[in-house]
Amino acid sequence: MPYEWDFLAVLAQWPLLLSGLLGTIKIAVIAIAAGVIVGGLVAAMRLSRLWPVRLLGTIYVDFYRNTPGILHFFWFYYALPVLSNVSLGPLEAAALALATQSGAFYAEVFRGGIGSIRKGQWEGAKALGMIRGQALRRVILPQAARRMIAPFTERSFEIIKTTSLASTLSYGELLYQGMMVASITFRPLETYTLLALIYFALLFSLSALAKWGESRLQAY
Amino acid sequence: MQYQWDFSLIFDNLPVLWRGVVVTLHLAAMCLLAGLALGFVIALMRLSKFAAARVFGRAFVEFFRNVPALIQLIWFYYAFPILIGAQMSPFMAAFLGITLNTAAFSAEIYRAGIQSLERGQWEGAMAIGMGRAQILRRIILPQVFQRMLPAFTNRAVEVAKVTSLASVISVQELMYQGRLLSSTYYRPLEILTAVGFIYLIVIYPLSLASMLMERRMARNQ
Repeated sequence: MPYEWDFLAVLAQWPLLLSGLLGTIKIAVIAIAAGVIVGGLVAAMRLSRLWPVRLLGTIYVDFYRNTPGILHFFWFYYALPVLSNVSLGPLEAAALALATQSGAFYAEVFRGGIGSIRKGQWEGAKALGMIRGQALRRVILPQAARRMIAPFTERSFEIIKTTSLASTLSYGELLYQGMMVASITFRPLETYTLLALIYFALLFSLSALAKWGESRLQAY
Repeated sequence: MQYQWDFSLIFDNLPVLWRGVVVTLHLAAMCLLAGLALGFVIALMRLSKFAAARVFGRAFVEFFRNVPALIQLIWFYYAFPILIGAQMSPFMAAFLGITLNTAAFSAEIYRAGIQSLERGQWEGAMAIGMGRAQILRRIILPQVFQRMLPAFTNRAVEVAKVTSLASVISVQELMYQGRLLSSTYYRPLEILTAVGFIYLIVIYPLSLASMLMERRMARNQ
């Protein structure tokens, strides 16, 4: 007997799915905003003139790039409270895990962008009497920012996809709410297929938007 | 009060963690091999002369790159068995999900690599009478293979990390064993920290290899 598809039973649970979508967007926005701040700090460390600071930055980035994301979620949720006596809710733990790991990846984006600017630009700025901070702000960053846009959006998409791991801490994002819908309706096939389509629609339209934005910027 | 660290139970449970490492490596190796093979086929489709093959290749890549890997694993574990009417082991579901995901990403590596070669190489080979498949095998791939090697190594790093998601569908790999141990002993801090370092030890050599290869290629150019 062929399987009778029934998407209507799943769609009837749209309030759950909508709240999940909002949960995903909320944690993604928090993670990207916090990740940019962490990434900026770590990139500054990696470009520092003091070698212990550089080393610390390198260790931070290498640690996060070589360990799986799900581990950080569990670590912040279950292990950190043991160490610090602060108990984090699922949202806080997941946001911390996402922000610290995306910080490591953003740091590489920032560092790569700054590193791609020729040395002569620094020297020229110095010859005009600018100190490092001034040269960075007025000469280097305006040029580097444009080169950072493409890798930055790519990393941000990775973060949006990684928010689905927050479901393992039972934070009510799209996947977690979808699991609820699957157990209410007894229709995992339709539910998980729909979830995949929602993520696809979200990310595909965002990447189309990003491409359009990039081509606009390149026009100048 | 200062927390009393107790790493002794890590050493007591090393055999359990080791079994997890073995499953992680097994799953990662299988997914990487199958993903690279399938990815090559998808890349050929994307470069095909036939519009239908190109559209399929493009759709495959876009779909698997724009849906979180965790959703793919869960879909293969909970949804796919309904479609085919047969139960599926967690390992098999994880293998399918991660392989298709890896294929989509590596297809883009092949495609970028093949397209990075100047057109003259194709034209020259065509001029001495080779067919498309011959050109690809004898002229193009030998030249671009080395260029693609760092990207494939990076993919291996990603695959090793992604296998940790299989713990969610109870594949007994490293992350799963770590979660099991930490709930058995109520010592999540030591156990999860140790699991992190084990991943680091397993994965870091790959990252290092990829970095060294990239550096050497930059020097040679």
